[in-house]
Amino acid sequence: MNFWEYLGSRHQQLLADAYQHASAVFQCMVVATVLGVLIGVAAYRSEWAGNLATTATSTVLTVPALAMIGLLVPVVGLGVAPTVTALTLYGLLPVVRNAIVGLRGVDPALVDAARGIGMSGPARLLRVELPLAWPPILTGVRVATQMLMGIAAIAAYASGPGLGNEIFRGIASLGSKNALNQVLAGTLGIIVLALLFDAVYVLIGRLTIPRGIRG
Amino acid sequence: MSTTGGRRPGGEHEVRGLVFRDDGEAETEPEPEPRPPSPARAGRRISRQKLTLLPALLIAVLLATWLWFRQAELDPVSENALSDGRVSKALWQHVELTVISTFFVLIIAIPLGVLLTRAAFRKATPVAMALANTGQATPAIGLLALLVIWLGIGRRAALIGIIVYAVLPVLSNTIAGLKANDPTLLEAARGIGMSPLGVLTRVELPLAVPLILAGVRTALVLNVGTATLATFGGGGGLGVLITTGITNQRMPVLVLGSILTVALALLVDWLASLAELLLRPRGLEVGT
Repeated sequence: MNFWEYLGSRHQQLLADAYQHASAVFQCMVVATVLGVLIGVAAYRSEWAGNLATTATSTVLTVPALAMIGLLVPVVGLGVAPTVTALTLYGLLPVVRNAIVGLRGVDPALVDAARGIGMSGPARLLRVELPLAWPPILTGVRVATQMLMGIAAIAAYASGPGLGNEIFRGIASLGSKNALNQVLAGTLGIIVLALLFDAVYVLIGRLTIPRGIRG
Repeated sequence: MSTTGGRRPGGEHEVRGLVFRDDGEAETEPEPEPRPPSPARAGRRISRQKLTLLPALLIAVLLATWLWFRQAELDPVSENALSDGRVSKALWQHVELTVISTFFVLIIAIPLGVLLTRAAFRKATPVAMALANTGQATPAIGLLALLVIWLGIGRRAALIGIIVYAVLPVLSNTIAGLKANDPTLLEAARGIGMSPLGVLTRVELPLAVPLILAGVRTALVLNVGTATLATFGGGGGLGVLITTGITNQRMPVLVLGSILTVALALLVDWLASLAELLLRPRGLEVGT
């Protein structure tokens, strides 16, 4: 059976896996973005809290994915739970870091001007600072999503959802004729998903970055 | 990252250094905001604190694990997975995989980066960067599995997989570093009559040292992580303990494997950050 025949005969299974992969990454990324921006907003004003948030999240990122999953399994069990927890944790770092950098990079004169025309604190944050910090945050989200695609594949080893199962099925049946097809289908599927997500982020950037600060 | 979108938002320079998981610069380099003129010193002090904090934490965690294992009652399966020096063997294999692969990553990626920024090859740079971007989207486990199918089970396939996976980020780091050099400095070097080789070895490379060191750190940390996957290709390493723990449902094995892996990863990152601090050219410390 060559690769195309394999794709043809297994497309339903593959599409289901791809859908689960994409949806796990997407949902975790939404949670990570919201949490990450909140942490960034809470921490960026103080030097100390900002550094703490960056150091903590970058330490998390240094931890290899398989070890993180290994530490989560005794706590939350096998299956979807460790996958979701690990993906969200890993997704936080680039977002938190870029949110802090982005918010700190906002020109103080602009914030001052907003205060001068009578904007309240929350209004300044929502209507001036966050829109200005949005491009770096979005870049962080893009970087994080690409990374999560690969981590989600590893999480399949702890019975997580997604295309990683295809790869591990191939590894389990090494030597059989379908091993290559399975691994190739899983790997290429993840690459395609990652590129699709990336394209969507470019589009989101076009739509959501305020016109005044586009490069 | 830098070539997929034509339009680059303002935060790009923050992300460029972050080839996956490098963040050495975030702590040691000043923020884009103007600051009082001692950012380098402040940065160093923060790092010093961090430098002593992490080993202390690691020692505490390892000690706690050791104490827990002394009193833990292990069933035969766990006993079997952990006895006969299997743990130290796995640890040693992991270190070997990391060191060997990092060595090869560096001798491949850095010369290639230098080559690709020379005038003769400059046209190939976007191609290499695009390749690096696609490479980032490739899952490490898939790459490793493909290599195992192609080359057969064993350490060789695992090593090649680890190397291939880390070459691209370090390469794009090196290219970005060499490109970011101030062109007026290169012009000045040429102006005082330096040969192209002299410009490269005496101006460009010293200026790019911080970035190359960041690349070393990226490679090390990435490789410690990818080496955990070597077990799926029969390459050994600490991943063996983790997978044994998961497949046999033996939490002590799983936890020990994971904690050792985490400790090793953090230790390697710590050593690399130490190297970054010590090897940085003195002239670049102030005012970068």
